[in-house]
Order: sequence, then C-alpha cells, then structure tokens
Amino acid sequence: MIILDPLRQTNPQIRLLAGVVFAGLAVLVAGLWWLQVVKRKEFQASLETQSYRTTRIPATRGSILDRQGNLLAETQPRYALTLYLDEIRPRFAAVYDQLTPRVLASLDAQRQQYEAQVQRELTSAERRRFRIRGQLKAELERAARFLATSNLVAEVAAALRTPITLDPGEFHEHYETRRALPLPILSNLSPAQLARFAESSRAWPGLEVEVQPVRVYPQGETAAHVVGHLIRDDRSATGEDAFFWYRLPDYRGIVGVEYGYDAELRGRAGAKSVLVNNFGYRHEDAVWMPAEPGQDVVLTLDLEVQRAAERALRLVGHPALGAVVVMDVLSGDLLALASAPSFDPNLYVDGISPAENAWLKDENLRPQINRATQDNYAPGSIFKTVIGLACLEGGLDPKQTVYNPGYVMVGRRRVGDTAPPGAYDFKRALKLSCNTYFISNGLGAGIDRILALGERLHLGQNTGLKTRQETAGIFPDARRLARGWSPGDTANLCIGQGAMAVTPLQMAVMTAAIANGGNVLWPRLVKAIIRKDDSTGSTVTGMPEGQVRDQLNVRPENLQLLREAMLADVEDPDGTGRAAELESVRICGKTGTAQITDVNNRVVGHTTWFISYAPYERPRVAVVVMVEGGRSGGGTCAPLAREIYKVLFPEVPKEVARNR
Amino acid sequence: MRWNKESGFWLRLDHLQVAGLAGLMLAGLAFVYSATTVASAPGLWTQYQESAWSEFVSWFGRQFFFRQAVWYGIGLALATAVCLVDYRILARWAPIFYWGAIVTLLLVLLPGIGSVRFGARRWIDLGLFQFQPSEFAKLALILALAQFLSRPEEELRRPWVLSQALGWVLLPFVLIMKEPDLGSALVVLPVGLAMMYAAGVNRRKLAGWVLGVALAGTLLLADMLLAPPHPFQLQLHDYQRQRLLVYFGINDPPPPGASAAEVARLRQRQLDVSHNVRQALISVGSGGLTGKGWRQGTQNNLGYLPRAVAHNDFIFSVIAEESGFVGGVMIITLYAVVLFTGIRTAGEARDRLGQSLAVGVVALLFSQVFINIGMNIRILPVTGVPLPLLSYGGSSVISSLVAMGLLQNIHIHRKTY
Repeated sequence: MIILDPLRQTNPQIRLLAGVVFAGLAVLVAGLWWLQVVKRKEFQASLETQSYRTTRIPATRGSILDRQGNLLAETQPRYALTLYLDEIRPRFAAVYDQLTPRVLASLDAQRQQYEAQVQRELTSAERRRFRIRGQLKAELERAARFLATSNLVAEVAAALRTPITLDPGEFHEHYETRRALPLPILSNLSPAQLARFAESSRAWPGLEVEVQPVRVYPQGETAAHVVGHLIRDDRSATGEDAFFWYRLPDYRGIVGVEYGYDAELRGRAGAKSVLVNNFGYRHEDAVWMPAEPGQDVVLTLDLEVQRAAERALRLVGHPALGAVVVMDVLSGDLLALASAPSFDPNLYVDGISPAENAWLKDENLRPQINRATQDNYAPGSIFKTVIGLACLEGGLDPKQTVYNPGYVMVGRRRVGDTAPPGAYDFKRALKLSCNTYFISNGLGAGIDRILALGERLHLGQNTGLKTRQETAGIFPDARRLARGWSPGDTANLCIGQGAMAVTPLQMAVMTAAIANGGNVLWPRLVKAIIRKDDSTGSTVTGMPEGQVRDQLNVRPENLQLLREAMLADVEDPDGTGRAAELESVRICGKTGTAQITDVNNRVVGHTTWFISYAPYERPRVAVVVMVEGGRSGGGTCAPLAREIYKVLFPEVPKEVARNR
Repeated sequence: MRWNKESGFWLRLDHLQVAGLAGLMLAGLAFVYSATTVASAPGLWTQYQESAWSEFVSWFGRQFFFRQAVWYGIGLALATAVCLVDYRILARWAPIFYWGAIVTLLLVLLPGIGSVRFGARRWIDLGLFQFQPSEFAKLALILALAQFLSRPEEELRRPWVLSQALGWVLLPFVLIMKEPDLGSALVVLPVGLAMMYAAGVNRRKLAGWVLGVALAGTLLLADMLLAPPHPFQLQLHDYQRQRLLVYFGINDPPPPGASAAEVARLRQRQLDVSHNVRQALISVGSGGLTGKGWRQGTQNNLGYLPRAVAHNDFIFSVIAEESGFVGGVMIITLYAVVLFTGIRTAGEARDRLGQSLAVGVVALLFSQVFINIGMNIRILPVTGVPLPLLSYGGSSVISSLVAMGLLQNIHIHRKTY
C-alpha cells in the first residue's frame, strides 16, 4: 500500500515527513467532508438566496356577469413593450467605448496642464488621478447604460411612429433594484403599434411584447356602483408566500362586488423565479407555482332591467340624483340596483384626471355613493303602507271614515294635509295619501304596533349585501322610546318623517313583503360563483335564493286591503300614482314626498318616492324609485317606474314569466 | 549511463507516480475547460462542428485549456530533459541556478522589468508569455540547499552550517516577500525546514529557530490585525491585511474621525475581499456529495465565483462544486499517490543529495497543495498559491513538472541493492 509504506520507513526523519503529509491530507479530506456533506444544506440554501429572485405573479381576476351572462367586468390582455437589460449589455459596452476617448482626451489635457503647472513629469501615483477609475468610471458606465437604452428606445419609437420617453430616474432605479426584470418601455400598445412592431424587420435585442392583464368594465357607467372597482395592491394575501423579491402589479377590490367577492375573484397568486448571475442580470426563468385564476361571479342583476332603471333616472333631468331598486318579490333577486349620478369605473384603471377627481368628490353630487343602499332617506308617505297595516291589525274598520279639514292638530302643532278636505276611508286615504287619516288612526293603533312591524321588516338594520355600501337606516326601538317619546313623534312616524330613515333597498324588501304575502326576504345580489378549471371543466356554486329573514305576521285579509288600496293609487283616476299606470300589467303602488327640513324646521327640499309591485294578480317584481329633490312622488317618480315596467312587462299578455 | 544498458528509460520510471501525474493533468485540462467556458456558450464540439476550420483553429488557440495543454507539453519535455541528466551532475550547477534565480528576483522588483498585476510585481514579461521568477526560484533553492546539505554528517551538526543553510532559505524568502507574494514566500519556509530536518542538522538549534520564527510570525500577525494603525502597525499591503482580517473574521474598524463616505468605502472593500472567500465556500459546500456535474456548476457559470480566479487559484472550488466530495477526494488521492511515491523515492535515494532533493520537492508540492486547498475550504487565509498541475498558469505548471522530473531522476538513480 503506497500510502502506508513510507510510514514504515527506517529513516525516522522520512517517517515523520510521511506522517505530516498524511495528517495534512487527512485534514483536507475532513474539511471537505465537513463542508460538502455535513454543511451541504446550508450552502445550498445560500446559493439559492443569492442566485434566485422570486416574483409574485398575480392571478387573472375573474369576471363579473349579469344573470344572462353579459359581462360587467372582465380581465382583458393589454400589450406592453418591455426590454430585458441582460440582452443589451453589448450595447452598454459599445456606448461606453464611444464615450471613453472624449473623457480620456479631457483627462489628458488636464494632466498636461497640471504638468505644466508643477514643471515636472508626474509620478505614477499622481498619474493615476488622471485615469478613468473609481467614481468616474462608475458614472461613465451609468451614463453609457442610459444612453444605450435611450438610443434603442428612440429606434423603436421611430419604427412605431410613437413618441416614447425614457425617464432617467426611473431607468436608473429599475437598473439598481429590478435588473433581472424587464424594463417597461411602452404600455397599452394599439393594434397598429403592435403590427408595426411585428413588421419591423430589425431584430432588436431584448425587446419583448408582454401581455398584461387589465380590468375592463365593458358596460361603463351601467351598474358601476354595485360592480365596484379596484385599487392597486401587491401585498401577499393570507396563505401565500410572504416573501418576494419583486411583485408584479396586482389589484384588490375596494368597493362593490369587486370588494365583497374579492377573495373569489382574485384567485391565488403564483410565483416565478428568475435565476440571476453575479451582475444581477436575468439568466433563466422558471415558473415554480402557476397562478390560479379567479372565479367568475354571476350577479342577479339583469342588464336590460338595470339599463332601463338608469335610463329612467336620467329622465328626471340633469343632474339626476336618485336610485332605483328592482327586486324579484319571491326569490329576493335584485334585478336592478341603480344609483345616479354614476361614473365610469374604467377611470380607476386608466388613472383619474384632476377634473374627473373633482367631479367624483363633488359634495352635492357624491357620484361615488350608491344611493340605493348607502344613504339615509326619510320615507315620507310610502311608510303609510306599514302604518295602514298596523292600524288594520289593531282592529281599524277600513270603512270607518275620518274627516279631513285640510290639516291635523298634533298637540298644539298643525300638520298640513295635501289631500283635499273631506271624509276618508282606508282606501281613499291611502290613494290620496291623507295625513289626517293616518296620523289619527296611527295614534290610535299605538307606537308599539308600529315598532313591532318595523322590527319584523328589519328597518334600522343592514340587508346583508357584501358591497361595503350599506347603511342601516334609522328606526326607533325600545331604548329610543325610553329616552323620551311624545305622541308628536308617533305622528311624525305615521307620515314617514321624524325619527326614521331608510334606504331604497329596505323599501324594496318592504314592498316585496307586502306583495308576496308577508315574507321579509334577504335580498340576493350574487346568483352563482363559477370556478373554471381546465381539467375538470367549470363548477357552478349557486347561492341560495328566496332566503326568508322574517315574517310580517299580519292577517291575509288586511294585506289584501292594503294591496287593493295600492292598486287604486295607480289605477283610480284620482290616485296619486296615476302616472305609473300601464296597459300591459296591473301595478300596485304608493307615492311619497318627504320634506327635508333644516335646523329651523324650514322645508329646504323633498325626497320623492314611488314604491310599487306588479302584477297585482300574482306579484312578481317590486320596483322602488327614489329621487332627491323631485317635485312629488306621483309627479316625479311614478312615471319613471312606468318606464321600468315597460321593459319588465313589454307585451299586453297578462303574465310574462321573466327571469325564471 | 548504466540504466541505459540494463533497461529502457521508460521502464525505470516510477510508474505509479507517472499515473498519478497523468490523472492530475487530465483533471487539470477538464476543469480549466469547465472553468473558462461558460456552459451556455458553445463548447468545443459545437465550435468544431459549426465554425469554419480557420475560425475554429483561432478560437481553439485562444482557449485556456489549450494553452494549459501547451504548458503541460513544455513541462513534460523539460522534465524528460531533467531526467536524462544525472541529478548529481545537475547539482554541480546548483549555485549558478540559485544566484541566477536571485538575480531574476531582484530584476522583477525593478519597475522597468517586472510587470504589475493585481498590485504585485511578480512577473517578467517576455512578450510571448509572462514568466514568474518565484516559481523557478523555489526549484533553484531546493537544488542549492540539497547540494549544501550533502556535506559530511559531522559538518552538518555545526551551528554555523545551520545558520548558513538558513541564509540560503531566507534570501529568496525576503525577495519574494518584497514582490509581494506572501504565498510563494511562505511555501519556501516549510521546504527549507523539511530539507534541513531530513538531512540531520542540529535538531535542537533548528527547533529553536522554528520556535523563534513562529513566535515572530505570531507577533507580526497580532500587530497587523490588532495594533492601532500607524505608527505602531507594521505596514502590510492593504489587500493582504484585508485577507487576513477576513480570515480571522475581524471587522476592520474605520479610523476615528472618518467621514461617512470613507466608512462606506472601507465597508465595501471588506465586502469585496470577503466575497471571494464566501463564494468559494458556497461553491464547495453546494457541491454536496456527488457534485452538480461537469460544466454544470452554477456558482462558476453564473460568475459568482469570480472569473478571474476560477481557473487558477480557485480551480479546486470548481472541481468541488462540479464533482462534489467524491471528486475532491479523488483529487486529494491523486496528490497522495504522487506525494507518497515521492517520499518513497526519498527513502530509496542513493545519497543524501538525492534524499534532500526528494524531500524538498515533496515538501514544495505538499505545502502548495495544502495551502491552496486549505484556502478553498477556508481553513487557511487566501494567499496566491496555485494548486500544482491543476491551476492554470505556465510558470506553475512548468516548474511543478520540472520538479517531478527531478524526483523521477532520483528514482531512476536509486539504490538498487
């Protein structure tokens, strides 16, 4: 054995030498074992951290559709021109070589000048000061990089016939921090630009057309509030890897369905890793976790009805401030949820100009508010439907009349009555909206009955839409009564004013309950969620419909009395809701005009309402129209409802099974 | 020329050692090729197939592995020539080689003659290639010291002889230090020590000298690393000091009153120096048991292991990364074969001259291997010592092969009784 032989040498000096050599090699092997076998994992980990950059790739956001499958929001590809810096490094070097002679010449001149000054040859150490090194070299390289890139960009700009500007600050920042990622050159390429780029026979190095997903709202202003919009947010969602070197732009819903169903729409971000070399340039791409696309959300909205509702609101004039809710009285499906004025949610994608921003923030218009669910309004006379039910439940004989002198005294306060003086029974009182009748009978029925009905209607509570656009409204409860309550307060409540406020959506739920026989429903906005999967196809998860929240618990004959009175309000020649009458369908309705008073109890405006449902024989839909600052419920809102019913019941046939 | 009559030249060689050397040279070619051609760039075969003949020849001529092959060829030719002349005749010329080497070591220090690379004046530019005198000075020292030590035993025990022998060693040591080439200079000391010890000089005195040098070295090191700067600190070249600081894991404190920019600059410099060491360590460590495959080392291909040193001083990191622990041990085994056959040659040498020469060559080879691999796996600080026969470099390859020729020469003329 060659290794052991020398250890048995006779010469002790040689033996020692052999021992030292043997020990030395053993130390090397041991060291190698320690590094390569024992500590292997540690070094492999540090290899990864220094040579991999992980990038978060957001998932393609799911679409939002109406119940017929029309797109309300979708993700479309947008083409962007990007430049991989690693592929134009030869150009950096070439420009650097062009720059250096001039700098060298000037340094040379400086050196000669200095030599002339000191009257001697310079030492080599002194000469070093006149070479390109250190800071100067770094600056030259930096300048060369920018120049080379902007030259290339200029060539591209000429070929595309599009001016492209390359911002030096952004370029250097990109180079310093995201060298392995492509530099964005031009975003949102038009088809013409794309064609020119493809045609361009010159093979530019490093340029690539990248597809970037962009959110598009094809319907523009239609249903803008309820669909909602996004804000930029690249953060990791829970359950994702928290650490990434880079994050590609991602968006999060901020309001509307985009907010409420963000988790479903957003999908799951993936990760891409880029192997980088020691200069930080890209070496190789590898996707190690593909993004999982988001799911589609199908709304209960019907685009046609929604459009009709918005069109109707615009009839009021400009600017129309108001809301329309169209609800299926059996399933609770919201067929339309309109708010005016509306805005184009695409603005939030493309960037908002200062003028647009000023309009969006306007104190009076408040376009970003969803008036159907997000603001408190006094219901006015439409609340007389509930008061009427409370009275009938309290044993009021509908035939019994009350004389209306043109006003009603509540304590020492005189409340005017728009209904002509005369005797009123239940039906006449409702269709002419007689304050005297409802105040006197309401006071007779008592506040407790009214509050019990309001509680079963869940007034003063959210209706449970996940759009971040809801207000609960105001409705008195036992605690409010305990703080002091007078008959005057009850009188105010009887005409839908005073200590209460509602949203149009709450009124739609109320109307639907009257129409469907007393079921107080949860409104449904999302019909289904569709998970697309390439391998297994789509899976549709339906949301439960017709979820009953509560029962009105009123006698059917009383409900029938109310319905007949509401029918009369529209069909009788003297009904306040006359303007809503339509040949194709029999509509039941109630108008309302609530006064808005300032602190001095002076009337400063009106909130006008029209609540309705149809058909009278077999109720299907409820339509609630609210307009801020209208003349009166019958004059302003009823005609708008008529326009919507025209779309809902287009033909004369007594029944049209829509949306089923 | 007795051996010529009895048997052929080839038959009298130490075949095991020749096999070990051949293995090392093949590994050297393979890994110089791997370290200098990036995996994604077209390799030898693609170049051969895809470019015109003249293009291929000019490409081939520029390649490091080709030049390395040329150095191997020249080295083998010189080694054969060295074998053909009896070492006892060669030894008579020792003073001439020695003083010739001293003169070139002096010449290289002159600004007009020696050329500067990486801040050290180590090379003499001969136009065609650059010649590193210190590599040949080591051989000349071995030859001269062996000849000096071949005097009668009783003379060797005299203290004056020891001092003289130390003088032979220290003269080139100081000159090489002056270049500066700390690694090469440090290699000279164990070579001299091993030769003197094996020859049988006064051991007590030798031990005293060794202790003295060790003590002085420790004091110097402590001074360089820990003493406050000027005027107490011995002035060492900046990069040498940095390497030592990095090795001992000491943060270089910025001088008091330094500006923020100055502190940042010092910090950056320290990072740059430690970068090399850290990357070599990551290369070796991430290789694991069996490595990433030839030309597949990411550290090497992505340029984390600096390209300037991957094919010479840090070739072992490339080998360890690409062939893993198995490959590393194979390389060490090949060196073991060469070293132990060398030691065997020393034991079988005809006379003390032969024995001293063999010990000198073995000590030279071993200390270079130990220092180089040691710095690759961070058990020693970084010094510019090449890995014999594997690192790219003409002077190193040729002088290593000539030294091996000398060893074969002694083997050929060994005691045959």
